[in-house]
Amino acid sequence: MTALQATLSAPGSQARRSLPAILGLVGVFLIWELAARAFEDAFVLAGPSDVLAYLMANQALMGRALMVTLSNAAIGFVLGNLAAVLLALIALLWPRSESVVTGLALFVFCLPLVATGPILRVFFGPGEWPQILLAALAVYYTTLIPLLVGLRAAPATWFDLVRSYGRGRFAALFHVRMMASLPYFVAGLQIAAPAAFLGAMVGEFTGAERGMGVLTIRAMRALDVDMTWALASVATAVAILVYLVIGWLARLVLSDAPPVILAAPRASVSGRAAVWKSTVNIALTVGVVLGVWWGALAVLDVSPFFAKGPADVFDALFLAPDAATTRATLGSALIDTSVLLLPGYFAGLLAGAGLAMLVVLVPALTGIAMTLSIALRSVPIVTTAPLVVLLAGRGAVGTIVLVAVMVFFPTFVACLHGLRQAPGQVMDVLHSYAAGPILQLIRVRIPAMLPAFFAAARMSVPASVLAVTVVEWLATGNGIGSLMAVSASLSDYDMLWSSVVLVSLLSSLGYAAVGAIESRVLRIYAPEQLA
Amino acid sequence: MALDPTSPPEVICTGLAKTFDGGLDAVSPTTLRFAAGQTTALVGPSGCGKSTILRMIAGLETPSAGSISIGGAPPAETLQKADLAVAFQDPSLLPWRSVRGNIELALGLARRPIVPEEVDQLIRMVGLDGFAETRPAELSGGMRQRAAIARALATQPKLLLLDEPFGAVDELTRQQLAQDLPRLWEARGTTTLLVTHSVQEAVMLSDRILVLSPRPAAVVADISVDLPRPRDPELARDAAFTTLVDDVFSALSHGMAQSHPPLVAQ
Ligand SMILES: Nc1ncnc2c1ncn2[C@@H]1O[C@H](COP(=O)(O)OP(=O)(O)O)[C@@H](O)[C@H]1O
Ligand SMILES: [Mg+2]
Repeated sequence: MTALQATLSAPGSQARRSLPAILGLVGVFLIWELAARAFEDAFVLAGPSDVLAYLMANQALMGRALMVTLSNAAIGFVLGNLAAVLLALIALLWPRSESVVTGLALFVFCLPLVATGPILRVFFGPGEWPQILLAALAVYYTTLIPLLVGLRAAPATWFDLVRSYGRGRFAALFHVRMMASLPYFVAGLQIAAPAAFLGAMVGEFTGAERGMGVLTIRAMRALDVDMTWALASVATAVAILVYLVIGWLARLVLSDAPPVILAAPRASVSGRAAVWKSTVNIALTVGVVLGVWWGALAVLDVSPFFAKGPADVFDALFLAPDAATTRATLGSALIDTSVLLLPGYFAGLLAGAGLAMLVVLVPALTGIAMTLSIALRSVPIVTTAPLVVLLAGRGAVGTIVLVAVMVFFPTFVACLHGLRQAPGQVMDVLHSYAAGPILQLIRVRIPAMLPAFFAAARMSVPASVLAVTVVEWLATGNGIGSLMAVSASLSDYDMLWSSVVLVSLLSSLGYAAVGAIESRVLRIYAPEQLA
Repeated sequence: MALDPTSPPEVICTGLAKTFDGGLDAVSPTTLRFAAGQTTALVGPSGCGKSTILRMIAGLETPSAGSISIGGAPPAETLQKADLAVAFQDPSLLPWRSVRGNIELALGLARRPIVPEEVDQLIRMVGLDGFAETRPAELSGGMRQRAAIARALATQPKLLLLDEPFGAVDELTRQQLAQDLPRLWEARGTTTLLVTHSVQEAVMLSDRILVLSPRPAAVVADISVDLPRPRDPELARDAAFTTLVDDVFSALSHGMAQSHPPLVAQ
């Protein structure tokens, strides 16, 4: 059990354990305020007092915007999670469909919100639906994956018990699987809540009329430092609150604290039959994606001017007279983006794993780390993009920092959990040989951390793509994020749809690549994870 | 011959064999007969295939060859009526349910009415008085096994399959259970199959002992236990008891010797 979970789940020692968390929080506010005072002239940083003053002065405006965004996020949250449950049930009751279901789900999750936002805007007009759908898109995957893991997380003998009374799959689903998956489901919901808020805000960036996202754009355009910080603070506070409330509700129903590791790795593929099978699965997934895409356009019956089908995109990329130019534009934008994305991604992974190890070596840091974990795990990072731009500028550094931050948080939390999970008996053996903390870290804790690290690295691929495209769009005006935004505003729908396909494809490939490295490493260090 | 709804079934396994997918032979073709209303112990070295035999009878594993008849019907039919119950080697209690909750789940799965007084009585019989509302995580290993035994008894099965049910139960409780359980299943008329690697336990509890060879399991001895019932712990000092224990032991080591010739020439 991590210290984080301990604070969340041990009612008896609640007060004693939450003391360091409260102290940490006070410390954060203090440093923040002092920094704001120190750099007052730079016009980039607004302290807690400035934020509070702004909120007091603009109560009505902020309140209205918050209500709008909250309700969009809530509807999207419900829809997205319903979709996740439905998909998980399909995969469970019809096991052959699982790899296609998860493949499709991953691809849709990899759709760049920056582009799906404008496209949905065109489909649905100025109302609330684009925000709601974007919120739903932002959450269903983070619920689906742990749910699939949880639905299988029951030992075989529990199913034998059900069978020994002559009962079948539905009884097993009802009495065993559903209950066994609850902790995983709740862990998914906890992550999903802030993500829904983020999705709704990104949706509002794309030309909504009301909401926190609209105000954020306005604040950035006006270079209103107080307002930018106030909006980011409110978004963060709401996210933390929702995260804690779901955790609290969960403790009322559950006997165990929700698990932190969210995605089990796929079994490693080896042998000719397995390769053949995964090839078939990929082909099937691609087929289903194309079918859904084409079918949705046919059903929705929108003007072919902006609704581009698979054939149109192929045409634009390969057959049209300007296909070469299109490809060159896309290629150079992708290179611009990768130059920032990759360093940020790896820096975030390193920082997350590194800090987690530091905390394990220096237990005195635990108090602050705990506060950080609770707070940071629930922050919709991208809503703080404007802050990073204010602080680090519109150049390459700002973008790299934001991507790194986006990757850092989940990696840190997952690694800390993994490091603390090192089997007690093995640790005892090392203690008995008087092995020092560094040796313990290298021999036992790091191998124990690897599954969590890779799960985080995998889930961070789409997240880092989201971060980089949002910054490019809102701030730097470079790369594929900006290309998508510009294409949307210039009504260059061929370019827009091509970018969406390309970005989703590359994200999915990146995800699969991390997964492949993961199963190679885990085969050596944690073979039980691949069972 | 149809399954008589009131009397316990006779179980007949004919040419029963199991080879697992990887090619591992767990049970070599064996014919076993478990008399109606009696308690038969399966004794053999660990890993010899005892659990596999029990799981095939419970319909949880498909035999590679041979057939199983429970009162003249295949296992699937007995399962449909929830007329059998298994106490698994690993207690497999659902962690989110209390002891009572786990017992009630079994009754629910078997579509039997839940009578709270009967559940209480069972819990008392296995010595879990005062732990009815406790979750498995807060019980000791032995207490969990007793809860699993209570659960298996709850549905009043005609065929009771016990897979090393006392492994983690402490000696005193085990003696108590060894007295109470046979009384219960005699009163109810239950065909009981007890898998164990404890020879004393087998002699104390059963009417007949089948001694199995190392894997792949085959019967090497069939020993009747003609000791009077009820049996109390004092019986263990009786000459008849010790003779039986010796018989089973020598059958066991004979079975071992046949499949593993001694390393050192004698
Ligand atoms: N599902 C399975 N797949 C492959 N081998 C198995 C399986 N279950 C049991 N075995 C093997 O079959 C043999 C007999 O197992 P088991 O019946 O559990 O032995 P016992 O209960 O007598 O200790 C063992 O070698 C065991 O490893
Ligand atoms: Mg066994």
